[in-house]
Amino acid sequence: MSQRLSTYTLQLLLYGVLATPLVLFAVYAFSERWFFPALVPQEWTASPFARLLSDRRTLQGLGESLSIAAAASLLSLAISFPAARTLGLRAFRGRQAAWLAFFVPTVVPPLAIGMGLNIFFLQIGLAGSMLGVTLAHLVPTLPYTIFTLSSVFARYDENYEHQALALGANPVQIFFRITLRLVFPGLVVAGLFAFLISWSQYLLTLLIGGGRVLTLPMLLFSSVSGGNPASIAALSLLFVTPPVLVIAATARYLGQHGAAVQEQY
Amino acid sequence: MTDVSILDLRKTYPGQAQPVLDHFSLSVHAGELVALLGPSGSGKSTILKLITGIETPDSGDIQFNRKTILNTPPNQRGAVFMFQKAYLFPFLSIAENIGFGLKMQNASKATIQAAVKRMLDLIGLPGIEKRKPAHLSGGEQQRVALARALVTQPRLLLLDEPLSSLDTAVRANLQEAIRRIQRELGITTILVTHDLSEAMSMSDRMALLLDGQVAAFDQPMRLFQHPPSEQAARFVGINTFLRGEVSDGCLRTDLGTLEVCPNRSKPGPGVFAIRPEHIRIESNQRPNALPGIIKDCTYHGEYVEYQVEIPEMSVRARVPMPTEMVPHGAPVHVIFPQEHLFQIKNA
Amino acid sequence: MRKRVLSSPWLRLAPALLVIGILFGTSIVYGAGQSLGVMAAIGQQEASLDAYRNVLTGSGPAGREFWPSLGFSLWISGASTLLSALGALPVALWLNGRRGQSQQKETLALNWNLAFPHLVWAVALLLFLSQSGMLARLAAFFGWVQTPADFPVLVRDRLGFGIILSYVTKEIPFLALIVLAVLRSQPENYAVVAENLGANRWQRLRYITLPQVLPALTAGSLLVFAYVFSAYEVPAVLGVRYPRALPVLALDFFTNPDLSSRAEGMAISFLIAIIVILLAVISIRQNKSIGET
Repeated sequence: MSQRLSTYTLQLLLYGVLATPLVLFAVYAFSERWFFPALVPQEWTASPFARLLSDRRTLQGLGESLSIAAAASLLSLAISFPAARTLGLRAFRGRQAAWLAFFVPTVVPPLAIGMGLNIFFLQIGLAGSMLGVTLAHLVPTLPYTIFTLSSVFARYDENYEHQALALGANPVQIFFRITLRLVFPGLVVAGLFAFLISWSQYLLTLLIGGGRVLTLPMLLFSSVSGGNPASIAALSLLFVTPPVLVIAATARYLGQHGAAVQEQY
Repeated sequence: MTDVSILDLRKTYPGQAQPVLDHFSLSVHAGELVALLGPSGSGKSTILKLITGIETPDSGDIQFNRKTILNTPPNQRGAVFMFQKAYLFPFLSIAENIGFGLKMQNASKATIQAAVKRMLDLIGLPGIEKRKPAHLSGGEQQRVALARALVTQPRLLLLDEPLSSLDTAVRANLQEAIRRIQRELGITTILVTHDLSEAMSMSDRMALLLDGQVAAFDQPMRLFQHPPSEQAARFVGINTFLRGEVSDGCLRTDLGTLEVCPNRSKPGPGVFAIRPEHIRIESNQRPNALPGIIKDCTYHGEYVEYQVEIPEMSVRARVPMPTEMVPHGAPVHVIFPQEHLFQIKNA
Repeated sequence: MRKRVLSSPWLRLAPALLVIGILFGTSIVYGAGQSLGVMAAIGQQEASLDAYRNVLTGSGPAGREFWPSLGFSLWISGASTLLSALGALPVALWLNGRRGQSQQKETLALNWNLAFPHLVWAVALLLFLSQSGMLARLAAFFGWVQTPADFPVLVRDRLGFGIILSYVTKEIPFLALIVLAVLRSQPENYAVVAENLGANRWQRLRYITLPQVLPALTAGSLLVFAYVFSAYEVPAVLGVRYPRALPVLALDFFTNPDLSSRAEGMAISFLIAIIVILLAVISIRQNKSIGET
């Protein structure tokens, strides 16, 4: 009996902690003139949202956030694919060293990386540009895609490719028809990680973008210091919606295809 | 119809000092099924990888119909293979799996469809075109893998332990199916296996691979009954070797003298071997026998296996369907029938 | 021979190594140069440890604030880590005890956490716990407080409770997933064996489960500590003017127009990086020892 009770308590706590932010944002974002100590807003309104979406900077922030995160994750995937395949499938001298080279950037704080890159990018003219920020985001995203994909390749069986080769497929056909299909779920997960890391990046964007590149975290930060709870909440909601959608879509995709994919291993 | 010649092949894997294969030669006639039999690590699978082009040899040559194929890209060699695992592409249907090779040749839809249907009939699984590999049993998956391999009418079929993950009944069934289809299509086939009975039941000839070289190459029956060397003999289950001086149709050993067939023995120091099934056990004194004591007996149903201690030597004998068993510790006479003793190369 | 060069593993690693090497390598070199006062901008070519001396011993603004900030950062990182580890353990054990569909659902719930960047999480906490926030309103509803000022200061407080709470709620799911992965990868259910040998619930927890998960939990906790210690967003949103967390201090100095402040900011961020890397090395060692057992 007491065990059941503690189970319910934990369950409640878990879901409570996870759901509270969304509910909170939603309530605040649709409130107007909600004075202390009222428990619910006196007035429900979509005007904070309307204000937010009519602000040119919001749309710019959303656009730049999406483009940078998409570009950084796709670039990460493309660059890490051959590296991850080698790390996952081959035993060679220096493998540990290569591994370390990708690991170190994950523990060095973005603060230090951003400060150093700031100066470097100023010199080569990349500071303050979308390209510069995207490249800077590669420092944290690339190691994650490499590690995620190499664990996928560690379980990969090259005999599928050998089979296709013997059946007459050329290397290009093998890559698109066999390899890509087999590792696709892994690519999705790795891409998701990269997207989320880039999406939530504040420091690197600030230090490289220098205020000229406007992503949602930058807007959120300045709105937090500005202090209107309704607009903070509306912006937060806008900020978490894409990751929530992306994660939900991924979970759904893996739920449908995960089983079929696991059978091959 | 393709014949295959492997000439003086040598292969060393990167980072390894010893070559897996050295001076390896083998020739397979067109339409023949040759089994490569050997313990794990003997380089059996490497040969298949070299033939398909997944690996390249250090030196030597591989020829199809007396023309080298080493410069042919792997996907144009027409050497298909089947592994222990079916490796059906999990995201394709059965029909798409079987049709894969034809699709790579840009065959028309109708051609592929017809070929798939023909192959499914051939492997005895008609009507499963739309299913996914995951929904088939292990044996069915292997049948589909065979169909997929054969649909393009390849020059050579390579089988790498294709049945070793299946249970006994399915396995026997599939052995028979592969053999039937192979004969029907007349496709030259190399089968790699570590299973003696599988090699014997499926092959026209079998090659015994030991230490990267062919230790014996002959028809299964001859290799099983009269292996040429002690190594080969041990591999086919013989472990009784009698050493002595041969003269006048007699083998003089330290334990006694045995008669051997004069026309199958060379005078001088020699080694004779005998299969455990040919050794007999009697309680009374008989000709061509040596005295011993039963150390162990195990009942196996079709036969009883005795371990008999002859001074300084242990002999294993298999007696088929005995009516009663000789008890442990009993003194017996071990009979080595003259017609079954055969001479092997001196070690 | 040509073929061997083309199939060399280093060729395939080259794009990734090059990108990381250029971006990460130059950032470290330029950063180090900056912290040592080597700056093309003001033409100073000689390296000096002035910035580090100013930060560690100096009487300037950086020197005055560094040690209190270090103490504050250690306090929030230590407390967050300890509480997260203590909280993650029961959550993981509870999830491991559940089977099938409900277990999957709750593991998914933990992953859900991924969708909320630390920044957003901190903002949510701000709205929830501030003196006119949701919790204060609830307190007023029950008549415990009359005005916002009656409600205790839980965020933007001098002791960093808000910061710690933000990290704890965010890192418990993270560490719980790590512990859960260890529990699920155990090939045998040793707890069942122990029960069969007469161990009661607490004995099983103490002698079987804890030793199994402790190495991974320790390694994970070190990573959490390193992360919290070097992260900027949460203390920036939920912190006060004084004492400030080290990363906040570092960025403030770095963005200061005064060039010598820049060097000091860089020096502080390097000091943070050194501490974090040390912790990471210890964490890897810990992980290796898991591999060996």
